[in-house]
Amino acid sequence: MTATAILPRVRAQLSLILILLALLAAGITLAVVAMRGDGANQSEAQQVQQIAAGLHCPVCKDLSVADSPAPLAQQMREQIAQKLRAGETPDQIRAQFVAAYGDSVLMSPPKRGLSAAVYVLPTIVIAAGLAVATMLVRRWVRRPELESDEDDAAPMAASDRRAVLKAVERLREEEAA
Amino acid sequence: MSPVTRRRALLLGVVAVVVSAAAVVLSVGLRRDPSAVPSPLIGRTAPDFTLNQLDGKPFTLSTLRGQIVVVNFWASWCTECHTEQSTLNQTWQRFQDSGVVVVGVNFEDTTDDAIDYVRTASVSYPVVEDSDSRTALAYGLRGVPETFVIDRTGRIVDRIIGPVDATRLTNQITSMLPAGEQ
Repeated sequence: MTATAILPRVRAQLSLILILLALLAAGITLAVVAMRGDGANQSEAQQVQQIAAGLHCPVCKDLSVADSPAPLAQQMREQIAQKLRAGETPDQIRAQFVAAYGDSVLMSPPKRGLSAAVYVLPTIVIAAGLAVATMLVRRWVRRPELESDEDDAAPMAASDRRAVLKAVERLREEEAA
Repeated sequence: MSPVTRRRALLLGVVAVVVSAAAVVLSVGLRRDPSAVPSPLIGRTAPDFTLNQLDGKPFTLSTLRGQIVVVNFWASWCTECHTEQSTLNQTWQRFQDSGVVVVGVNFEDTTDDAIDYVRTASVSYPVVEDSDSRTALAYGLRGVPETFVIDRTGRIVDRIIGPVDATRLTNQITSMLPAGEQ
């Protein structure tokens, strides 16, 4: 196998490694963000902000409780602060708003029921994309090999074939003589 | 069937399933009323509250257990609340002797404006002030007017968003009254 045939294969393998490394880095980043949670070291104001940012303002269109200037959103922020001071956890506070307003009060849909599809579908699509990418990269890796094999078995030019046939005929004549 | 044909048929099948699923989701979703937000409180015990009436006297919802209660959230600045006022007044007048109580919960308003409104609109049922919106939040309020119907056991049986429809409210109340009192 020649150097020109090996080079594309190395390049393709390098691409595959780089893609896998990028995906691994993205996965680790997502896991770190997801595991960080509500953070026990945050100040009360930060905790209020974080909880309020995860709740829809009930009297607004597409605004979180944290971003809304509506008086009801302001009351919600005050209620969140009071509940935190009373020792309630962010999850308990969210659960109370969900009990009154339903899941629609949450800025992110819950990870259960039909809403779970929002979380599951991207994973399936990413997995399918990864499978397709792997398949394509493998095909690219294999192609230079096939091309080099094809080069080895390339048909002879007509003039060369005639020359070879003549040489063989001459040899046979010499042997017969 | 050759492998290539089989692969194409499989691909077509997958595409057909995905398109059909999307069509079903859209056809169901597009027919839904985006303003109709179901309340998770229906069928549950109504959140209790103790609030001051406009004359300063305290009022506790749970003291009305055993009666049918219509809790109406309203504000003097809310024009739709003015629209439904005659229905609420008539409901109170018609059913108060049958063990039905209408309670007005004033939302995001000033006491003076609320008192003026109650006087001019001839409201004679109890009206309380939810000055910190705590009760509104407990009832999952999304605006005014909003009305909740509570049965004799204290469970919420209906939630009406927007101005009260007289027929709906009357039917709801009469369905909970004994035959002789309807």
